[in-house]
Amino acid sequence: MMSRTNIIALIFLIIMGLYPLFADSAWLAIGTTFLVFSVVAFSQDIILGRAGAFHMGHAAFFGMGAYTTAILNVNFGWTILATWAPAVLIPVIVSFIVISPIIHLRGDYLLVATIGINIIFLQILENDLFGLTGGPNGIFGIDVLKVFGYEFFEQTHMYYMSFILLGITLFIMKNLDSSKFGRAMFYVNKDDVAAQSMGINIRYYKMYAFAIGAGIAGAAGSMFAVQYSAVSPEAFDVLQSIMFFTIVLVGGSASLPGVIIGTFVMFVLPEIFREFETARYLIFGLAMIIMMILRPRGIWPVKFGNIPSFLKKGKK
Amino acid sequence: MSKYLLEIKNVSKFFAGLTAIDSLNLKVKKGQIYGIIGPNGAGKTTLFNCITGIYTPEKGEILWNGKDIKGVAPHKIAELGILRTFQTIRLFSEMSVAENIMSGRHIKSKQKWYNGIIHTPAYYKDEKYNWEKTGEYMELFGLSDYATTPTGDLSYGIQRKIEMARALAAEPKLLILDEPAAGLNENETQELAEIIRKIQAMETTVMMIEHNMDMVMNLCEYMTVINFGAWIYDGVAADVQNNPAVIEAYIGAEDED
Ligand SMILES: Nc1ncnc2c1ncn2[C@@H]1O[C@H](COP(=O)(O)OP(=O)(O)OP(=O)(O)O)[C@@H](O)[C@H]1O
Ligand SMILES: [Mg+2]
Repeated sequence: MMSRTNIIALIFLIIMGLYPLFADSAWLAIGTTFLVFSVVAFSQDIILGRAGAFHMGHAAFFGMGAYTTAILNVNFGWTILATWAPAVLIPVIVSFIVISPIIHLRGDYLLVATIGINIIFLQILENDLFGLTGGPNGIFGIDVLKVFGYEFFEQTHMYYMSFILLGITLFIMKNLDSSKFGRAMFYVNKDDVAAQSMGINIRYYKMYAFAIGAGIAGAAGSMFAVQYSAVSPEAFDVLQSIMFFTIVLVGGSASLPGVIIGTFVMFVLPEIFREFETARYLIFGLAMIIMMILRPRGIWPVKFGNIPSFLKKGKK
Repeated sequence: MSKYLLEIKNVSKFFAGLTAIDSLNLKVKKGQIYGIIGPNGAGKTTLFNCITGIYTPEKGEILWNGKDIKGVAPHKIAELGILRTFQTIRLFSEMSVAENIMSGRHIKSKQKWYNGIIHTPAYYKDEKYNWEKTGEYMELFGLSDYATTPTGDLSYGIQRKIEMARALAAEPKLLILDEPAAGLNENETQELAEIIRKIQAMETTVMMIEHNMDMVMNLCEYMTVINFGAWIYDGVAADVQNNPAVIEAYIGAEDED
């Protein structure tokens, strides 16, 4: 029997898979952005919702993936396909280097430190530190994906590439949640003293969450760069990190439907209500405040108890 | 191999001017149910925190099978086979009973680092085996009916059982219980005593702090009495009960109340 989360994931994938049949190219572009941002939100949810690490610098890992693809393609002439592996690996390696010295920090301290990482990353981009990032203007003219001479240049192609990435992300998260690694993250999150007394190395599992989260965000960044055929620093600033953080908390930590709803509310609704421009941010700000008061565990809170069916017995 | 499973040698632990443990010595043999008793604030929990690596004592040695484990990280202590429960229950309260007990299988699980991303045949075998083991421990503690219930929704007595089942699921060599009967009614206490006997029969050594004297005297073959962090007496139940220093410590403590 399928768990409720799996059913919701399947329905979501079917809807998103059929969506291009009903959308024009403008709506397809919004749909693509939604897919890419939900991948980033899910990767933030591994770190924040599962491991419970107050990470507010996720846009930096997202940006590292985007810039890796942009730099390797535009400056070094790599094909987009060839940039995929480094776009995943570089954020993972950077996460090991910059996060391991601060991984022991708790709650608010980690939050401030990860904001610091995001700010430094943005400074590097804007000041064109290695002469590669294009400074405040960023990098233009990123290629489309070409495989065996076939060019994937249409919006539908971009949409389905992002869709596949979302599928891979959900597959990894499903595997994570049903392994000792995903469970260990929850134990550390819910009670770290009890977790370590059960033999769980807190540092290891938090780093594991960061590494996977950074890698997936990097992959999403690569998609993002190709979708817009350009990258620039402001797409990866602290405000973006705050958005990803908020999506998880407003939607519901570690809740698949919660994160989907959160991404929709934060990224798609603002697109739909474009006419209202300034008023919309006022409304979203207010909605965030009210949500945290009324539903502190999110719009759709996570439900635990996904255990093998042979252990489920009669009464509750 | 040392004659003793665990030896506390001259251990002292200080907190900003307060001597919580004062040059304490004790020796636990394999297979014993060993009691630690003493008035409130005597330093019993602090001792357990030193053994399990939550605190590092400033002085002395903690020998596990003859090897010093002082200052070893808590998760490594658990890997050695020393598991514990807490005086104030510490469960993963939003998570189900089964998921809580499964945390005890963590150190037994042989999943590889990449199994968090991709599953392999070895993973499926390991995962199934550990859930089955979890089922066995739920059965043993009569918890099977609550498998999917969040532990936070259950009564205090049941939560105590879950905490013990969780520690036991790790197949410890030494199980450390900090006031397991606190807050339990008479029936539950009775049931608990039976469970602890069963645990002993599983060849697990038990160390327990307990204020319920009937239970301690009935279960523990040997015990150490401490007051103000220091040793006052150790011996078998009958001797402890009649020792003037022990009686004095308890009456002294009551006078202060
Ligand atoms: N982290 C700490 N920081 C400062 N003082 C502490 C700390 N932990 C314990 N103490 C002090 O050490 C002494 C021993 O406390 P401990 O909790 O070990 O007593 P106990 O014997 O377990 O008492 P009880 O029977 O009430 O549980 C007490 O005076 C307590 O206030
Ligand atoms: Mg205590």
